[in-house]
Amino acid sequence: MPNVRAQDISAIADLKLRNTDGRWLAMNDFSDARGFILIFTCNHCPFAKLYSKRLNELHRQYSAQGVPLLAINPMDTLVYDEERFEFMVEKSARDSFEFPYLQDNLQLFARYMKATHTPQAFVVWKNAGGWEVVYQGAIDDNGAEPGKAHSYISDALDALLQHKKPPLPKTDSFGCRIYLRESK
Amino acid sequence: MRKISLILAALSLMLVAAQTATSQTYVPLWIPDTLSGTNFNLAIRDTFSQLRPGNQTITGGINGKFWGPTLFFNAGDTVHLHVQNNLNDSTTIHWHGMHLPAVMDGGPHQVIPPGALWQPYWEVKNKAATYWYHPHLHEMTLEHLTKGIGGFIIVRDAEEAALALPRTYGIDDIPLVFTSRRYDASNQFVTQNTAYGDYLLANGTHDAEVTLPAQFVRLRILNAEIERGYDIGFSDNRNFYIIANDGGLLEAPVMVNRVKVNVGERVEILVDLSDEAPGSALDLKAYNAGQAFGFPGGEPGINGEFGSLLNNVNFNMLHINVSATTPNAITQIPAALASNIYPSTADVSLTRNLAITGGQVTVPFTFDNTPFVLSTINKQVNLNATEKWTVTNNNIFGHTFHIHDVQFKIVERNGQTASVGTHEQGWKDVMYVPRGESVSFIAKFEDYADAEHPFMYHCHFSNHEDDGMMGQFVVQDNSTLVRKSESAQFSVYPNPAQEKLFIAPKNSELGIYYITIRNVLGRTMMMLPKPNMQSGIDISALAAGIYLAEITEDVSKTRTVIQFIKN
Repeated sequence: MPNVRAQDISAIADLKLRNTDGRWLAMNDFSDARGFILIFTCNHCPFAKLYSKRLNELHRQYSAQGVPLLAINPMDTLVYDEERFEFMVEKSARDSFEFPYLQDNLQLFARYMKATHTPQAFVVWKNAGGWEVVYQGAIDDNGAEPGKAHSYISDALDALLQHKKPPLPKTDSFGCRIYLRESK
Repeated sequence: MRKISLILAALSLMLVAAQTATSQTYVPLWIPDTLSGTNFNLAIRDTFSQLRPGNQTITGGINGKFWGPTLFFNAGDTVHLHVQNNLNDSTTIHWHGMHLPAVMDGGPHQVIPPGALWQPYWEVKNKAATYWYHPHLHEMTLEHLTKGIGGFIIVRDAEEAALALPRTYGIDDIPLVFTSRRYDASNQFVTQNTAYGDYLLANGTHDAEVTLPAQFVRLRILNAEIERGYDIGFSDNRNFYIIANDGGLLEAPVMVNRVKVNVGERVEILVDLSDEAPGSALDLKAYNAGQAFGFPGGEPGINGEFGSLLNNVNFNMLHINVSATTPNAITQIPAALASNIYPSTADVSLTRNLAITGGQVTVPFTFDNTPFVLSTINKQVNLNATEKWTVTNNNIFGHTFHIHDVQFKIVERNGQTASVGTHEQGWKDVMYVPRGESVSFIAKFEDYADAEHPFMYHCHFSNHEDDGMMGQFVVQDNSTLVRKSESAQFSVYPNPAQEKLFIAPKNSELGIYYITIRNVLGRTMMMLPKPNMQSGIDISALAAGIYLAEITEDVSKTRTVIQFIKN
């Protein structure tokens, strides 16, 4: 097992992002949460599009156990017209998202978490009052064939909910690259 | 020593056995869709393909999941390309081998941002042959090619049409793009520190098989590897005929039982399968065992940047099942093909020498120790000049040299006319330059002058090209008056517009070199080199709103920005 040090992301737990329902949400607004499934995703990436139904299923299963799913769109809307907030609202409605779909319009989450692709998953767990990344990588191991897919997120959460360490802290994720706008 | 040879022989037998064992299940060869006419819509996109069991591979496709449609052009037609970049990234599309204005050529200067539509057009002046199109974004060519972005162009002309040659696409006339890929543990293409793939792809298909009729069949072969060359033949060692090189038919078929095809090169071959009973099978193979290609002492083993499971072995490229003959089968080969008039040595007005340099440890390969710089024009060529270029490789590795704009004639290898291969006697736009050799070609740079916009010459190994083994030249017409920068005024109508937008200079002496349409956020929506203003600009696909058209005047290159409203 690769030795990956858990990353503490408490610093961004109060950062509010705009949800497609118009509300601004931060991780710390979920006072009962034991952890989060954070999914970097977007509107236009074909590989990310494959996961809408599975994200709803993950959210349904784990939010009931105190681990809600938050989808985060970190794409640069100046470069990609399809990523504009109004199209996020459309996508959220069309795909019947049951979870928040948040716009990371300044790419602060993506930068802080070093997200590289959509779709890319992070499982975050509450530890000593802070938030630690305990899994990062792919959602599962088969994009187009959900019936054959093995869920890395379920593996991680099923272990965490039994107070164990996730069996695999990191996998490779791939899809559409997140380009971070140069900041000076 | 003898013992070692025996062990090696046993090992290679085992390898052959392993290859035979694994290649018994085949996948039907994918034949790219076709587009014909004079308007071609190409949408480049990120996508994914099921190339092997398990997770899908992130790929790039044009109107599809990997590679793109085959474009049929008729010589003499003016073709209009509508290239929509729906990638997550900027890219370019270069029309490899086509003779066209530099501003339409799709080199590294014609960057198409995500979401933008690029509309080049040109009159097809090439001869009937097999060309291709592919990305050419500097420093990103390897990555975009590896995704699978590209496609064939088949040019037809009257001379070729008059010959009794197989030309039923997908039946007896088969396009074959060969390349290879290395996969990581998640089934994704490896693009870092990898120049040789482990698994061959024929038209994006691993372990491909095709059914071909028992008659003369035409194979249009393109090598789209990063570095690997192929020494191609058939498993029963049968003879076949080379009928065309990169840019046209040869004068007469050349009979061979092997042909070397290096990166970027195309060769059209005819093979007679009439001696095969329907139901029988044979393989098209790369006889690469023992071939050095670029490497001193032969291709390296399986590991590292230059290692590969396909190195230094013979491997199947395509399994061929033979079926019954088709009606109107081609049963004999024409004795003569095309009459080609090549530029001659007597017409040469300038000789240029290029040396292959660099390539030592951490220094990338270059020409003349000058790494490519996007803003530096390396050479100026006079319009209508016939030039001789000699590329000398006193370096450590073989390369393929490609030049844009022209088709050339290879005239010497190591200064010897007789050393030019029989398989490379026709029109070429790529030539192999082995270690320790110089290769010379003659080309005439006609029709298209543009003092501003350059053409490229480069190594067609995409890793070398990305690292700067590339230069650029402009073709200049010294008879053209250069007008100084002056105030260029344009009118735009109707404004607001709904379907068509017309832009005209207020002074009829002025012309339009380029129009770029951006929205108010600055996002590039349309890129229009030398738009035909009589027919107007089709803006019907733009969302309603305010736009800015940046107009570059044809001669002075003065830029003017005007605003218009799309209703």
